[in-house]
Amino acid sequence: MSNQHLSPLREPLVTEPRSLGQLTEEICAPMERAPTWKWWVAFGIAVSVLGTGAGIVGYQVATGIGVWGLNKTIGWAFDITNFVFWVGIGHAGTLISAILFLFRQKWRTSINRAAEAMTLFAVMCAALFPLIHMGRPWLAFWVMPYPNDRGSLWVNFRSPLLWDVFAISTYFTVSAVFWYVGLIPDLATVRDRAKAGIRKAVFKVMSLGWTGSNRTWSRYETVYLLLAGLATPLVLSVHTIVSMDFATSVIPGWHTTIFPPYFVAGAVFSGFAMVLTLMIITRVVLGYEHLITLRHLENMTKIIIVTGGLVSLAYATEFFIAWYSGNPYERFAFMNRAFGPYAWAYWIMVTCNVVSPHLFWFKKIRTSPAAIFVLSLVINVGMWFERFVIIVTSLHRDFLPSSWAMYTPTMVEVGTFIGTFGLFFTLFLLFVRVLPIISIGEVKSVLGFAREGHAAQPHPPAKPVAEEPHPVAHRPASPVPLAIATRKDAPV
Amino acid sequence: MEATVLDSWVLAEFSTPDALVTATRQMREKGFEGMDTYSPYPLHGGSEALGLPPSRVPFIALCGGLTGVATALAMQTWMNTIDYPLNIGGRPLLSLPAWVPITFELGVLFAAFGIFFGLLGLSRLPQPYHPVFESEEFRTASTHGYWLSVPQATGTDAAPVMDQLKALGATQVTLVTGEKE
Repeated sequence: MSNQHLSPLREPLVTEPRSLGQLTEEICAPMERAPTWKWWVAFGIAVSVLGTGAGIVGYQVATGIGVWGLNKTIGWAFDITNFVFWVGIGHAGTLISAILFLFRQKWRTSINRAAEAMTLFAVMCAALFPLIHMGRPWLAFWVMPYPNDRGSLWVNFRSPLLWDVFAISTYFTVSAVFWYVGLIPDLATVRDRAKAGIRKAVFKVMSLGWTGSNRTWSRYETVYLLLAGLATPLVLSVHTIVSMDFATSVIPGWHTTIFPPYFVAGAVFSGFAMVLTLMIITRVVLGYEHLITLRHLENMTKIIIVTGGLVSLAYATEFFIAWYSGNPYERFAFMNRAFGPYAWAYWIMVTCNVVSPHLFWFKKIRTSPAAIFVLSLVINVGMWFERFVIIVTSLHRDFLPSSWAMYTPTMVEVGTFIGTFGLFFTLFLLFVRVLPIISIGEVKSVLGFAREGHAAQPHPPAKPVAEEPHPVAHRPASPVPLAIATRKDAPV
Repeated sequence: MEATVLDSWVLAEFSTPDALVTATRQMREKGFEGMDTYSPYPLHGGSEALGLPPSRVPFIALCGGLTGVATALAMQTWMNTIDYPLNIGGRPLLSLPAWVPITFELGVLFAAFGIFFGLLGLSRLPQPYHPVFESEEFRTASTHGYWLSVPQATGTDAAPVMDQLKALGATQVTLVTGEKE
């Protein structure tokens, strides 16, 4: 984080010249001013959806999960699809924070905070589904190994479902720690800007008395690196374990060794799509186009091309191996996926996940936020269908044709799923209001010209002052980020 | 961090990170100890100027990770093999390959706890009171200011220290007095 970029070969990450004071002002502004009517409208919708979802969950807990469309053959469907969908989305945050950090991808600095928050909220949404599926959610503590008077009957550590419990809870905890550690310096910034009052008191407690001392900073950098190093294998392990829920069973279509890497690639793919969806809205609404630049969006679309390619390769490999294995059940399962009663879902999946990412090869599409936004939604839909296809089509044609069945979700299931979007957006909108959504300290360290005395001003300027622009920031040979830095009227 | 918090600290603000690093190095060469720098982001070369030793956090993390691994292996073996032997599909009672995922997860979890609480412990956080908070101007340290603190030994005059800091290019110098730890 401490590297200073003075190389003329690099393009500036913050496309407009800013002083440290201005940057702080800009990032803190949304949380210090009153919410706009747009925010209230969005928040109102999100809370209503959340409330509806909560009512529906209350109804199904009171009635029993017989209100779902499950049957004897298809015992897993909508809820597990949604669980895997949300967990997958939750992978991009840690990937951006940890893996891109280890690869020294400095452009991550302005999106990692929001992406990590998205991770936490997505994992919360995911965790709800197994909880609801238990039918008696108040007995959820039974999944934990705790001493009990049934002999102490312990949980079964050979079960992938229990591995899931440990994986998801570890992932949530470590992501929360990672997020909070990254927040501490910024919480101190907000504390120091706040006038006396509740805000000051709250941030005083939350920032733990951070002074910006070099002793703490140097330790903090070590800590951040270590946490990134830990989170990287963790994020890979979590979706690996999620995939083992399926892969360790003997169901044709599930019982394959390709699942762990296939699921991880899919998770990154869908997670980046969701980050793009959120970031494109956020940068416009909050006016952060010079911080979350087109370059960020473009880089993420490139990752989507790669992970989309991996997912496509996995689909092809699965199909090939089903034929090559010579196993008639395996062959049937895959032919049934592509040409059976759920073929429509399979082809939606293929269209969205295999075909649509290739539009990102075109520079025009890669640099058009509107096009990226639409494609990110398409990919989210596609990835939801991927999980639906894997789960439902593998189950609905059992070994015994007499138990073949079809599955249709009920309104309760659909409502629960939509309700989790309410939860997700409610939390995200609150986050945008109460915390700095861009890592102030990290963006400052990549301003890149701080060491030339450029950013040093004894007091934050009241309004943007005309400053001597840095040669790197003004180098005409790097026109792309500069040309698109359209925002000259920064509301500081 | 073994720096003791003294009665009074001299705080000096510098206009650029370079000036701060240079001043820190020169003050240290003059024999001042227990100094600290404050900046809104990690200062390049700051640790070298202060002469800080390498962090002990990685060691704490390693201990945490090993504790997690040992806990997980012991827990699973004791619970499923010894205390209540569970026969699942005729698999061996001690099925170590099946223990791997949870062992890995707990190793990571405990290492992360080690890192987090190691950071807090070594940095003595949470620290609701710190003498530097006595200075209103010091609040810029978290937005755009570059500060140096020099602990002033009890019973000496702060004026010469302040003069030296000014000579090194400090834009403002103040003296804060706080409670001893």
